[in-house]
Amino acid sequence: MLAVAPDAAAAKAAAGVARSAGWSGTGCDTAAVWGECAGGGKSAYRAAADLDEPAYRCSCPSRKFPCKHVLGLLLLWSEGAVEGGPRPDWVAEWIGQRRARAEKARERRRAAAAKTRDPRTAERREQRVDGGIADLDQWLRDQVAHGLAQADKAPYRLWDEAARRLVDAQAGALAGQVKGLAAIPRQEGWPDRLLEEYALLRLLVRAYQRRAGLPPGLRETVRSRIGFTVQQEEVLRDGERVRDSWHVIGSRDVVQDQLTTRRVWLRGRESGRPALVLSFAAPGRHLDASLVVGTRVEAELAFYPGAQPLRALVADRLATEAGGAPEGLTVGAFLDEYAAALGRDPWLDRWPALLGGVRLARNGGPRVVDAHGDALPLLSAEPWRLLAVSGGAPVTFAGEWSPRGLLPLAAWAGGGTAGEKGKRAEGDDGDEGVVIL
Amino acid sequence: MSGWSEHVSAALLGTERRPPPELPGAPPGDGDPAGRLLDQAAVLALRRRAGRRPLTGAEPVAPAPQEDAPVVPAAAAGRLARILAGEQIRVLPEWLDAAAAHGRRVPSRLLPELLEKGRSDRVLRPAIARAAGRRGVWLALQNTDWAYLVGSGDDPGGDAEVWETGTRQQRVAHLTRLRGTDPAAARDALGGTWAREPAPDRAAFLATFETGLSADDEDFLEKALEDRGKDVRQLASDLLARLPGSAYGRRMAVRARECLRPEVRTVREREQTWILVEPPRGHGEDLARDGVPFHPTGSFAPGRRAGGPVGTRAAWLREILARTPLATWTDLFGRPPREIVGLPVAPAAAADRPAEAGAGAMAGSVHIGWARAALRQRDVGWARALLRGGVAVDEPEALADLLTVLPADERAGAAADLIRWAEGRPELLRVLERIPGPWAGALAEAVVASIGMAAERSSYRHEHALTQLCRLADQRLAPETAPRLEALAARHGAAALTDLTETLRFRRDMLKELTP
Repeated sequence: MLAVAPDAAAAKAAAGVARSAGWSGTGCDTAAVWGECAGGGKSAYRAAADLDEPAYRCSCPSRKFPCKHVLGLLLLWSEGAVEGGPRPDWVAEWIGQRRARAEKARERRRAAAAKTRDPRTAERREQRVDGGIADLDQWLRDQVAHGLAQADKAPYRLWDEAARRLVDAQAGALAGQVKGLAAIPRQEGWPDRLLEEYALLRLLVRAYQRRAGLPPGLRETVRSRIGFTVQQEEVLRDGERVRDSWHVIGSRDVVQDQLTTRRVWLRGRESGRPALVLSFAAPGRHLDASLVVGTRVEAELAFYPGAQPLRALVADRLATEAGGAPEGLTVGAFLDEYAAALGRDPWLDRWPALLGGVRLARNGGPRVVDAHGDALPLLSAEPWRLLAVSGGAPVTFAGEWSPRGLLPLAAWAGGGTAGEKGKRAEGDDGDEGVVIL
Repeated sequence: MSGWSEHVSAALLGTERRPPPELPGAPPGDGDPAGRLLDQAAVLALRRRAGRRPLTGAEPVAPAPQEDAPVVPAAAAGRLARILAGEQIRVLPEWLDAAAAHGRRVPSRLLPELLEKGRSDRVLRPAIARAAGRRGVWLALQNTDWAYLVGSGDDPGGDAEVWETGTRQQRVAHLTRLRGTDPAAARDALGGTWAREPAPDRAAFLATFETGLSADDEDFLEKALEDRGKDVRQLASDLLARLPGSAYGRRMAVRARECLRPEVRTVREREQTWILVEPPRGHGEDLARDGVPFHPTGSFAPGRRAGGPVGTRAAWLREILARTPLATWTDLFGRPPREIVGLPVAPAAAADRPAEAGAGAMAGSVHIGWARAALRQRDVGWARALLRGGVAVDEPEALADLLTVLPADERAGAAADLIRWAEGRPELLRVLERIPGPWAGALAEAVVASIGMAAERSSYRHEHALTQLCRLADQRLAPETAPRLEALAARHGAAALTDLTETLRFRRDMLKELTP
């Protein structure tokens, strides 16, 4: 419950508020929980939470969100100390307003999606992007023509300016990629990586210039890599639907340019398909916490279009169950799967790895090794938690694969081979199940 | 794939200086060499990525030994995660001790954070060692930052070889263990290397004699009284003072009898035994050799409280009494400790009666000396007598220390009496500080009453005292007192009280989760 707290201090304060005798008029129903808490001021603070969304509200002046009163209320509620009852007027009014607003927003989005866009706007953008792409092509060719040897001494400005021109050309995704390149010459083995990245950008440029002749899936992939976005409504309406029991195998938050991106990786139990659910939030705001690592979500996903569909939206969520360890692949099978995916989308930079029965090795850098002795490098200086949890024994391991290595996401101890599972005889205790790395 | 590295060299140099290498089956270009290099590199880069082979030759970490203790229940594990993240961090030692007491261990996923905590906080280490399980030791072996765990717990660490080759800490641990099982062997081991050890090490090793101290150690300690290291000498004399039957004890008894003597006086037609006190007139080398320095602690430094320094003569008296076998007094007065403590005390000579150092101060010095002796010699009879005797000691800390000498079932009651006696005085906090937790039963009652009284008074000074009181109590007071303190907090609303009840509740829930 305290995971929604904005910081540790708020969580601590909430525990105190939950315990204080100042609560009155608390109640809950299936969609909301509310209560009044005597605070520092004259009148009691009215705190309420909309459990559907979730959303919070409190009449206190705290700038923290959610504030300690709401957190305290939720703590009380989670402990079962809040009785069911009819909503008081102020709660009913707030929930009503929320529902109305949400309905209006849905309406607006539906209208926006239904409205055919002004063809001239689209055409203007295409032209701008065309210009930006040609510009990038020239820039790339200039880099290799003059030579990359000095790239490690080049100022960030070199990439920043190229990126800025792409922003002006409304090729946002591409701009982000070019900007990110500046970090490469500051790392070991940079000449290989820099040439790889430039070459793949050039491939993207060429692919975009020939987009008319590409198969539709690949064309969508190219467009999304350039920065053409697809509306959520479109995805929900036209996207490929896959219903499965999805293991939530990892979650990672990345902060860039005042925006936090949460990447949640899923793996279908029946289909074996990987999926990526993204959510975004401004700093200090809450990211979507509805997909909890280690659980299994019975749901229908709608995939964004592309040659290798990966990003998806949860279209229809049916149930959430306790997870259990998912089935993992061997290192060899995983690399084959990745190669096949790369064949469909050559710009694929991240791919979820779910490996079964791997052990940790530390000679020559941290690695995971499967039963056949095949190993992959880990992108983590010292994987202490993985070491602690596994105790050197095989685990099921989830990580985010990039050409540089595996970023650890989660592990299921004792979830190796069937024999390993049989040996485990621990009951309801604190050493079981998934561990977030 | 040599083709790739040729492309990298060409790209580094620039296609203006070096034409791109040929690549069979490359896509047709537009004649621009830079473009051709990039196109070919794209093909090769994808081949590299898709054709990635697994690494070989990785050796998995050797597996951890089988765990024999069960892990704590899930709720307790969740709370430990919160504690390690900073919530009520001060309860961590109690969590660890409670887990270890129930034969449970820390869940393995929390070990890295826990071991990291022990890195910066030495005091935590023994508790960590008890609760971390075999997995904890195994993990600590993989990280030099956590090496402290190896050998800091009940782990045997090594055998006799450690004594020859180990670090000072390892050797101290080895010696302590050996003192526990075979004190003579430990003494012989130390004797074998004694002359070669540097003074700080000699002091550290000698300190292990506290374990399994007996009359057999006397000769070794007597020799150590001549040691070149000042700390070693002091330590040796302190240890000898705990051996009542020793030559050292006899020497001290001679000195002490010169200071204290009984005198029968007739007051209002009743015969009464008085203790006449004459503090030592001088300080000699033999006294210094037996561990009484010319300036004992507190003798002339500004006093920690009102009253100031006690003066060197009174300080010598205290030191001598503290090192004298207590049997000296039962023999001399022919009475049990209980009665001796109640005897009136007077200075022996008029010259020893300056204005400020009256009979009260004299009695204080005698009682403090006895209290220290009872603590050193772990004498239950004397400890009980001094605590019950209601002796007006201006150092109630000396009495508080005696609580540890009492049998466990008497401690709470005696401590409660002591607190009631100190109630309302500035000494209260200092007394409480010295009473180890957990405070339960009568002791908890007394503390709750004290907190109640402090809360009733509302001056600024008392609010400060209340804050300190609450801070002292939050880790030691039995959590069952929480409801009563909550009622108090609701009435007074002091932040310190609210914090205290919050901590107590946290601890109560924590202990409940850890109890299977």
